Amino acid sequence: MSPRDPPISVTVRFHGGPSMKERWVCWGAFDLYWQCLDEHVEDTGWCGQLRSLFEVSCPQQWIKYFDKRRDYLKFKERFEAGQFQPSKSTENS
Amino acid sequence: MGRALGGAPRARDCRGGLIRLPTHTCGVLVRLQRIWSFDSRNFRSMLLLSLGPKAWPRLSQFKPRILPRSREGEFLHAWSRNLSGQNQPRGPGLRTRLLITTLFGAGLGGAWMAAKAEKEQRQRQQRTEALRQAAVGQGDFSLLDHQGQPRCKADFRGQWVLIYFGFTHCPDICPDELEKLVQVVKQLEAEPYLPMVQPVFITVDPARDDVAAMARYVKDFHPRLLGLTGSTEQVAQVSRSYRVYYSAGPKDEDQDYIVDHSIAIYLLNPDGLFTDYYNRSRSAEQIADSVRRHMAAFHSILS
Repeated sequence: MSPRDPPISVTVRFHGGPSMKERWVCWGAFDLYWQCLDEHVEDTGWCGQLRSLFEVSCPQQWIKYFDKRRDYLKFKERFEAGQFQPSKSTENS
Repeated sequence: MGRALGGAPRARDCRGGLIRLPTHTCGVLVRLQRIWSFDSRNFRSMLLLSLGPKAWPRLSQFKPRILPRSREGEFLHAWSRNLSGQNQPRGPGLRTRLLITTLFGAGLGGAWMAAKAEKEQRQRQQRTEALRQAAVGQGDFSLLDHQGQPRCKADFRGQWVLIYFGFTHCPDICPDELEKLVQVVKQLEAEPYLPMVQPVFITVDPARDDVAAMARYVKDFHPRLLGLTGSTEQVAQVSRSYRVYYSAGPKDEDQDYIVDHSIAIYLLNPDGLFTDYYNRSRSAEQIADSVRRHMAAFHSILS
């Protein structure tokens, strides 16, 4: 199954989630997309093709899940680098 | 006859001496003083025989001329000095008293230790009984395996079991954790003298994960990985027993959803008792080490 073929839709699959092979395909696409975003500093235009590849490789729920995961990890990096200062209003509460 | 020598001894004859003595002893000594004051051996030996206590034979060695008759204090002091080397029995001696006290103390100590040991034994028995009841009753489940056979906890008695709760539509965590669990099982399988470990995967998404779905899922990981599923109530019951949190997320337009759940691998011993759990931060090597340690320390309470 080549990466450009759409995976079997999860709605018609009655016997469990994606198989091992389908999982690896999804993860690979996601990794490529992430790598592109990291190299081009979140420039989604440049990585548009990889994004559409990622979207066809993974179930909808997984796309949302991985996007949220990436946002969280980026936030954590910024937080640990000290870029977030507590606002004055929260200090007194 | 002693009274003929000068009447009953007065208590104050002994007072003021260098040594304070009980009245009876004092009286005896006063009598003796009066005996010696008669410088007559025959009379003295007659009196000694008549008065009779065991100490009198030793007194016959005493030389009366040395005794100062005027001052009783000095008399008593000299008397006690001469007697210091001899065993004067005044009731039980010091050695006997010490011996009796030691024996009594040892007896008390022994009784106390015996009572303590009995109490500990009773506590151990109670604990074993409670564990036995927990082994049979707690954490029991009745689920279907991925071949459609009903399974309960008693089926796994005699084996070490590693359980993971997840669902087949899981994006990455469940496959990672199951892969880790399988690595642990493979490492332990490689050691021939260790007992076999049974890996088990229990779904927290019974609505979608039926027997066929479980069969398709587990075959990708390990030939002995057992998938368990059941009705909503059965899964809820087993999750409660093992304190597993799970909550289905919102459905999207594809009716797909992700189940949020606690992530842990549980270890059960051959008696069916929960022994340990391992979260995401533990590596396969660490888990395998821990399982080996539990195996080495295991003593069955059900056999």
